[in-house]
Amino acid sequence: MSETNRNRLMLVIAILMAAVYLFPLYWMYITALKSGSEMFATPPSFWPSQPQWDTYPFVWESRNMGRYLWNSLVIASGAVVLITVLGVGCAYVLARYRNVWVDIGLFLILMLQVLPASLMITPIFVGYSQLGMLNYPRLAVIIAIAAKSMPFFVVLVRATFMAVPQELEEAALVDGNSRVGAFFNIVLPLARNGILVSAILIFMQAFGEFVYSKSIIQAVELQPASVGLNSFMGPNTNEWNRIMAYATIYVTPILAIFVLLQRRIVSGLTSGAIK
Amino acid sequence: MTKQIELSGVNKYYGAFHALKNIELSIEKGTFVALVGPSGCGKSTLLRSLAGLESISTGDLKIAGELMNNVPPRKRDIAMVFQSYALYPHMTVEQNLTYSLRIRGIGKAEAKKAAEEVAATTGLSQLLGRYPRELSGGQRQRVAMSRAIIRHPKAFLFDEPLSNLDAALRVHMRKEIRTLHDRLGATSVYVTHDQIEAMTMADHVVVMKDGVIEQQGAPLELYDRPANKFVAGFIGSPAMNFVPATVGADGRSLAVDVGEKQTIPVDRQLEPGRVVTAGLRPEHLHFVDPGQGVFRLPVGIVESTGSATYITTSTAAEVTIVETSRRSVRTGDIIDISVRPSDVHVFDDKTGVRI
Repeated sequence: MSETNRNRLMLVIAILMAAVYLFPLYWMYITALKSGSEMFATPPSFWPSQPQWDTYPFVWESRNMGRYLWNSLVIASGAVVLITVLGVGCAYVLARYRNVWVDIGLFLILMLQVLPASLMITPIFVGYSQLGMLNYPRLAVIIAIAAKSMPFFVVLVRATFMAVPQELEEAALVDGNSRVGAFFNIVLPLARNGILVSAILIFMQAFGEFVYSKSIIQAVELQPASVGLNSFMGPNTNEWNRIMAYATIYVTPILAIFVLLQRRIVSGLTSGAIK
Repeated sequence: MTKQIELSGVNKYYGAFHALKNIELSIEKGTFVALVGPSGCGKSTLLRSLAGLESISTGDLKIAGELMNNVPPRKRDIAMVFQSYALYPHMTVEQNLTYSLRIRGIGKAEAKKAAEEVAATTGLSQLLGRYPRELSGGQRQRVAMSRAIIRHPKAFLFDEPLSNLDAALRVHMRKEIRTLHDRLGATSVYVTHDQIEAMTMADHVVVMKDGVIEQQGAPLELYDRPANKFVAGFIGSPAMNFVPATVGADGRSLAVDVGEKQTIPVDRQLEPGRVVTAGLRPEHLHFVDPGQGVFRLPVGIVESTGSATYITTSTAAEVTIVETSRRSVRTGDIIDISVRPSDVHVFDDKTGVRI
């Protein structure tokens, strides 16, 4: 088989895999536009015959989506700010010092990453109720998400810092800067891309977070969109087109961010963003 | 002459590892000092200790008469040129040059003027607006130098600054750095593993090995009177030949062991019968007419560069000879070699110390 034929075959395989992977997303978008009867038609139609655009404003109004999305935004932004402020310093230290204790610290951090949220929620919930944190449910969720996602952020940002040559910092020290000054003047600007990318990934995770929000936030008016979507679906649900419209409104902004920043995200994850 | 840098009894430990052993070094103002030695000899550690990037464990370190043991780098008023240049990639050439001035609170206009002046002398005027990634290796090297010059520091520290350049540019920059040093009247400490760089650039060469200063002095002093076998083998290219020898009964000659014993005269009185190592520089051995020499050696390999012929003998202790005349010689020939008695170096067989 010649080189070009091989490449073509690979391309076909890649497209097929991508199609399988992206099919649920496609199904979400078209179902949202189908009418109630078309939705249940057999065989199913792969393109809506009469797109029902008014499902969107209806769902937005009736489910009070503005409030849910605002709550999601507050929780995700809060978690990202908290993680970035705490995680950057942590990642820097882990990147610059090498000894047994740092290795142990890294191991523990990676361990935390392994534990699933559904396992952690029980002790967290009990702890929060003892501390009275359940009276500030959104803050409580922000802290819980920060604790869960911090390891991921620290590991990514540590790699970014390790890509900043130590000699640059030393040059800044000799040039007359203090260690703190060298960090803010030299290291941080160079690690900015990696930190930004990691923060965006954390934001996208936190925006869709469900387990902690569902368990900790009881008041409907403080719940994020993920919990709102869940409460939309009951045991006898048949309004799938509306649920899909809800899901579309919820995920499209995140998808848009990812598509727009995709090149930077991928290069940030692989190269550490420094030449 | 005032002492610009003084080190006395300096030791450095990394845990149990003894990186610098009892370093004594004093550098006069305006001198160009080269620290040279094989990798891992402690020369870079010593330089970094001068910069304050490493702290010394014991001893005194003075710069311009002030004790600097625990002073952070920013207060030592020294400039350093790194092997990788360490240019700030997110700053333009001008911002790189003025960074140290801006930290010291010097005004924008004044800093810009200083940058333009330095750039004019180092040929960077056209490049001030560029980023380091847009420069060639040689240009980056110049930026690194200029960044050091702009501050008029008490001392310049160079950490193998030429090792990333190609051979031709390296020879050129060698001269340029030395010219710059003389023009600024600066005090420079230059770390290199290349003995030719050290010999050609420095006023004072410090040869180090395993954290110890083996010998220091003027370049030709090290070449003419190496203190021990290590320095003798390190300084000079191609390296000195070492041949096992025994002092003759009269104490004025050596019986050297090159396959068979041959006797060569020396110019000083030695203890008869002592087992020693004779050191002979390739360029001091001369290829002469039959019967004129003190040695007769079989030829092994002949390599010619045009300007010189390198002859390696096929004896057990290989001897290399550099011959600049074009005498035809072939593998298997037996040739006569002469050497002046004053050019024969003698080292103790056990300790390697010069006798």
